[in-house]
Amino acid sequence: MANVVEVKKVRKVYGKANEKQTMALKDVSFNVQAGEFIGIMGASGSGKSTLLNILSTLDKPTAGDVRINGQDVTGLKGNQLADFRSHEVGFIFQDFNLLENLTSRENIALPLSLQGVSAKKIAPQVQSIAEKLSITEILDQYPTEISGGQKQRVAAARALVAQPAILFGDEPTGALDSHSARELLDTMTSLNQNDGVSILLVTHDPFSASYCQRILFIKDGVIGQELKRKDQDRTAFYHQILDELGTFED
Amino acid sequence: MLWKLALGGIKSRLKDYVVLFSGLTISAAIFYMFQSLASNPEFLKANSTLGMIVFIFYFGSVLLGIITLVYILYANSFLLTMRQHAYAMFMMLGAKSRKIAQLIFIETVAVGLIATVVGSAIGVGLTQIISQVLVKQMDISITKFSPWSTNAAIVTGVFFLVLFAIAALYNAGKLVKTPVLNLLNQDKTPTRFKRNPVLWGIEVVAGLGLLAIGYLSMANLNTLQLLGIGIALVTIVLGSYFVFDAFFLMIIQLLRRNTKFRLTGLHSFTLGQLSFRIRDFTRLLSMVSIVFALALGAITVGLGFHDQIQSMAAQVSPYDLVLHDPTSKTASQADALKPTSVSTYRYKVDGKTIYFLADDFNKAPYKMFNPKQNADGSFSVQKQTYTGTEMLKKPDSYTGTLRGLAVASADAAPIKVVDAATYAKTAGQAHTVSLYVTKDFMASKDKLKALVAADAARQGGKVATMDMNQKYSVYALYNSMMSGFEFMGLFLGIAFLAMLASCLMFKILSSAASDALRYQMLEKIGTRRSLLKRSIRQEIGVLFLLPGVLGIIHVLFGLQMFKVTDLLPQPYHNIWLPFLIFLVLYVLYYFLTVQLYSGIVLQGRGAEDFQRGE
Repeated sequence: MANVVEVKKVRKVYGKANEKQTMALKDVSFNVQAGEFIGIMGASGSGKSTLLNILSTLDKPTAGDVRINGQDVTGLKGNQLADFRSHEVGFIFQDFNLLENLTSRENIALPLSLQGVSAKKIAPQVQSIAEKLSITEILDQYPTEISGGQKQRVAAARALVAQPAILFGDEPTGALDSHSARELLDTMTSLNQNDGVSILLVTHDPFSASYCQRILFIKDGVIGQELKRKDQDRTAFYHQILDELGTFED
Repeated sequence: MLWKLALGGIKSRLKDYVVLFSGLTISAAIFYMFQSLASNPEFLKANSTLGMIVFIFYFGSVLLGIITLVYILYANSFLLTMRQHAYAMFMMLGAKSRKIAQLIFIETVAVGLIATVVGSAIGVGLTQIISQVLVKQMDISITKFSPWSTNAAIVTGVFFLVLFAIAALYNAGKLVKTPVLNLLNQDKTPTRFKRNPVLWGIEVVAGLGLLAIGYLSMANLNTLQLLGIGIALVTIVLGSYFVFDAFFLMIIQLLRRNTKFRLTGLHSFTLGQLSFRIRDFTRLLSMVSIVFALALGAITVGLGFHDQIQSMAAQVSPYDLVLHDPTSKTASQADALKPTSVSTYRYKVDGKTIYFLADDFNKAPYKMFNPKQNADGSFSVQKQTYTGTEMLKKPDSYTGTLRGLAVASADAAPIKVVDAATYAKTAGQAHTVSLYVTKDFMASKDKLKALVAADAARQGGKVATMDMNQKYSVYALYNSMMSGFEFMGLFLGIAFLAMLASCLMFKILSSAASDALRYQMLEKIGTRRSLLKRSIRQEIGVLFLLPGVLGIIHVLFGLQMFKVTDLLPQPYHNIWLPFLIFLVLYVLYYFLTVQLYSGIVLQGRGAEDFQRGE
């Protein structure tokens, strides 16, 4: 199967040449196949946020290559970069990042109107993604009027409406109660399995991670262990993750 | 320690402080300039025939004071939004709220004090420059005016110190009372206000209706008298408020309902920002529209008076220039102006009487404009022509009519019109007088001035009588009467404009910090920077445009007051000039605001420019 994300020897150094330098990523390499649901786990300071920022083109690596959907993203600038973000990647953030002066519908439609899709085509696309995420009822409400779980669904709808090559999640359940978190993860699983959406989730929460098919553990800027779920059920995988964390964190 | 923190705060956000500081400095400068006029009643009286002028300026000062107060409160809320996060941090670390209040007080007053001192100094300079420019460009003469005024400096200093003390107390009180958590997370503002559509509709109708009543009452000022001004003030202020609160918001909502428009580019975001903004800005925007109208009105009326001088002078004098005994030099200078007509009259002076030759008046009949009272009480000008034949019928009765034609040395002598035979027999010194009409009076104005001065000098510096038949003299007289008005109009107008545009600017800037998050979010999901900039230009553009347009409409209707009361018979004549001056200044403010706002919300070039391989 084709790789939707290819990371080759990515290094990230913070601090200028004449200052004290910190290496946040040390030659990290891995691939994500199309249709995969992959998790990246690590403690605070492990480099996982740096990695996600680089993957999602919000930051640039000091050295190495990042290809998304076959395109080298490290050299993108200005409009190319903006267009790449709106076409190829979708984001869900821990704190939702919805625009609170727009209704849910307007929030979801935004990436499409940014791409210049005609109004006629936007409406059915918004409707269809809203149905998949069960948020048709709240489309005309503002973010301040809906719950955290609903906000994250709206954010997911906004991330997916332009049919990106990959969906990046940065602790998407971090601000949700356990019930909403479970619902969101179920939805993501269904999107992955039924609609073939590739998902990359960054988290430090073993429960969220247990929904993934494959997990990469990152520590001090290096990818160490890799876990695959294979045919295990989720609970078994969850325990395997906990065990792994126990040894990995030592 | 407190001082260190306060100064550290200023240092860490130097750019924002420069914005704030320059704004405050300009406001202090403008206030000083205004005070240098208003606190100088001799200047006002010397330059105006209107007895109420001191009162008008007093009223203007109060108005400017109120606008300045509003401005300083906005500027300070901008200061507060810059600093509140740091203050909250100090409080979280255990700083006592009394200490924080002290810190705010020190910062606010220090910024204010420096701005006032620098501003007043700039004010002195500006006053000097502006008064010189006006004198040169507009042919205005200002008497009893000096740029430095101790009174003005004291008033400005005290006024600003009091304002800053109030603002500092207000800020300190507000910050200390707000829970720390709210300060840390104050950026998340709820946006939806549910509106009752029926009440909303009523408000729209009421707003437009009130404006219509206001405009009508200004147009009928003759019948309503002072009551009309009262009605207009109340209805237009209320009407403007309702129009912003309901009408403009309705238009935005209608645009938001238009799916095609909304779903293009960033329109939905821009509209969302706007509808949120206008609700928040209602009071400010209606104030801006009214002050905008007052300021533009002041400039228009000021320049209108200037414009009127020429037409008023033209109604008094048929001739542009009167040369007594022209020398070959002055005659050739006058001919160089390519006059459309030259009338030359001969006369003799024998010490007791002045004898004019009737034949010359047959060749070039003498013209005069006489005011005539109409049946309805108004005045109009009646053109009269005198021929020699006609004058000979009553040869002794033209002393008053021809007085301005004779040399000054024969001032008191009676005038007699005589036929050619009598003239030849009469002994006495022979003189001539030439009357010129030029093609374009305004274009020849400066050369005429020199000729008139030369003519007066040749007569020993004294002019026979106030020569109402020489357009240049009348023009100069009116000009000196009106220039005071004009100067004040321009001055008031520009001062008000600068203040109100600064208010708008700071109100917009003080929300920039919280807007920055939204722009960052939009960048993350792949919005082109050019699109973000366009959205910013559109949003701020609408905020500047709406009060500007409403203000212009106010002025256009308001000028009716001057028309119906005959203060300015043609108030709309050459109206483009004041509008242009005004709009250029306003547009400059707009661009400045866009620039500053973009600088705050679009920080850096974003993560995209992180250098590779560093």
